[in-house]
Amino acid sequence: MIVLSAVFLAPLAVMVLGSLQRPLQPPPNGLDLWPDPVEWTNFATVPRFMPLGRLLLNSLLLVVVAVPVTVVVTSMAGLAIVTARGVLRRWLLGVSVLMLLVPAAALWVPRVVLLRGAGLADTPFTVALLALAGTTPFYVLLFALAYSRIPSALLEAATLEGLSPFAVWRRIALPLVRPAAVAVAALSGLYYWSTFMDPLTLVSSPGNWPVALGLRNLSEMEAALYPIYLAAAVLVTAPALLAFGIAQRSFFSSVERS
Amino acid sequence: MRHTVPDGSRRSSTSTLSSLLACSALVPRACARSSVRTAHAPSLLLTLLAIPVLLVLSACSDGAGADEGSPTAPITVQVGADPEEAAVYRSLVSAYEEAGGGEVELVPVSRDDHLTRLSTAFASGDAPDVFLINYREYAPFVQRGAVRPIGPLLADAGVDTADYYEEPLRAFTYDGALQCMPQNISSLVVYWNRALFTQAGVPAPKADWSWADFVATAGALTRDGVKGVGIDPSIVRMAPLVWSNGGTIVDDDAAPTRTTLHEPGARAALQSVVDLIGSGATPDKEQLAAQGLPEQFMTGKVAMFLSSRVEVPALREQRGLDFDVAGLPVMGEPVSVLHSDAYCVASGSENAAAAAKFVAYAVGQQGQTLTALGGRTVPSLRSVATSPAFLSPARAPASSQVFLDAIPHLRHTPVTPSWPEVEDVIGTQLERAFEDGVPLDEVLAEIRKQADPLLQSR
Repeated sequence: MIVLSAVFLAPLAVMVLGSLQRPLQPPPNGLDLWPDPVEWTNFATVPRFMPLGRLLLNSLLLVVVAVPVTVVVTSMAGLAIVTARGVLRRWLLGVSVLMLLVPAAALWVPRVVLLRGAGLADTPFTVALLALAGTTPFYVLLFALAYSRIPSALLEAATLEGLSPFAVWRRIALPLVRPAAVAVAALSGLYYWSTFMDPLTLVSSPGNWPVALGLRNLSEMEAALYPIYLAAAVLVTAPALLAFGIAQRSFFSSVERS
Repeated sequence: MRHTVPDGSRRSSTSTLSSLLACSALVPRACARSSVRTAHAPSLLLTLLAIPVLLVLSACSDGAGADEGSPTAPITVQVGADPEEAAVYRSLVSAYEEAGGGEVELVPVSRDDHLTRLSTAFASGDAPDVFLINYREYAPFVQRGAVRPIGPLLADAGVDTADYYEEPLRAFTYDGALQCMPQNISSLVVYWNRALFTQAGVPAPKADWSWADFVATAGALTRDGVKGVGIDPSIVRMAPLVWSNGGTIVDDDAAPTRTTLHEPGARAALQSVVDLIGSGATPDKEQLAAQGLPEQFMTGKVAMFLSSRVEVPALREQRGLDFDVAGLPVMGEPVSVLHSDAYCVASGSENAAAAAKFVAYAVGQQGQTLTALGGRTVPSLRSVATSPAFLSPARAPASSQVFLDAIPHLRHTPVTPSWPEVEDVIGTQLERAFEDGVPLDEVLAEIRKQADPLLQSR
């Protein structure tokens, strides 16, 4: 287990160590890991290449809006699938799986056309509109799978008690699939933090871009300036790691309780 | 890094349609630069498929705008640039605004993303007013009606094309009209490391050196831990050698219908390169996989390599690296291949007058001086190209004059919509011959089989 985590931590370590190398050196022969001397000023240099604060704020706003919307939409859709009957249920499942097979690139154009038509194409929240469509059918299927383990008698009883479909979702179903909700929140949070293809095609003004796209544009830096690129990568990764650090307690407790 | 060569220059290639095409359909070669790109390879396939649709859509929605707007209306300018280049364009934009131009929103995106974003933007009818593109990939955009011929616009803005070198203007002339305004006239040269030459006791390259001199020099430079020369397997690298040897790369430069690399003159030139590689004077497959050619040159593992002006800013940043440039070795006639980017005005732009005003500034005296000082461009404006902003020997390479000396011998690859795909086919096959030791004739047959239908399709 420890060996396994070391394997997964290695790229992070390389990134952090790389970000402390002195820039403008010839590219190393092989893997020259240990920075000597340690160059902290790389981090201060990053804003010269991209408006870091602005982009971080955009990303933060994006995640804060998109993640709750994703969880609400996909958990409702998942419940709809599970409570549907017979042919309809199979049909809904089939459609979800089918939609999973549609490659993202096929959606770029229709999305841009649609959003521009609606006049929603150039805000920091544009990408968050994808959350209204659940982000990806995978999350819907994840919820459907989780709901399917709830005895159907329970949901039926709640309906017979006179609860509206909304109340069934809010008061019965959702609390029972809390681990799924946390998982979808974590996955979609990561997705919205790191997506750059969506904003690249959807958002016109560089001022409204999320930080992932800013980082992407640094990726073609000269080899000699790579430490600065890696410093930017550290700055972009840190908030996500921090969020995971804070959330992991509730994440694991919710998983264990189930 | 070396996998990006279609353009002939490490960076300009990656953003281009050819690499997009490469990522998409033909080979994952151009996508292999990083895991991120590799991961996106399948989705890029779809972008590629989407491009014609997008361009058709945009063509339909365009064309109505006869109104050219105010010359100071706000415009959007998209460039595919690495961060250092983006900084140069930023200073260009602020200089333009200070000089009384209108507001310009600069959208610098990485070279890999340039065409993806451009095509989706065209699809939605919200293309940037101005974009910068290489001559080897603008043809599909013109073909679909996405570009507004820039000649009349520039004439209105007071630009006289007679002040500019002709070769790039020719390369950006399509359907009988100047489509986009070139900002540079770069060409293929030999970068050489002065310290390694001195150590090996090899004299500096002379102008018009022969291929035999070149091979002998590469051999003499090859020693422990140092290879003599690195050459990317791509058509923009090979084309000048083929031409120099009296060969051709296609049957008709104006309207190509088939490739001609298998014909005697071209084949002999390619065989000379294969022989040079066989002599062990070039980095082997593993060495190339470990580090790109420019990086190997920076670290003194390769004493010479072939590239365009694009390498200069990065090489200047390497402390202690003493490099210069020399002309290409001559097999028969002296010849080199054009590398050039131009500003295009989108046909759907409602602010064509403002767009033209910006382009006029960018390719004018001040604009080109700014970009030339950045080191990246060989100015297309004669007066700047011959000024100290470009030629000053105080900044490496001391022999920048080499780029100007090449101008009378410049030729360009065919301008035709399917060219990016053809380049990719040829690049993939040449790589097999250069690195995997596949017999040249087998590779040439494969090029004919795959590339000729592409040329005939459009």
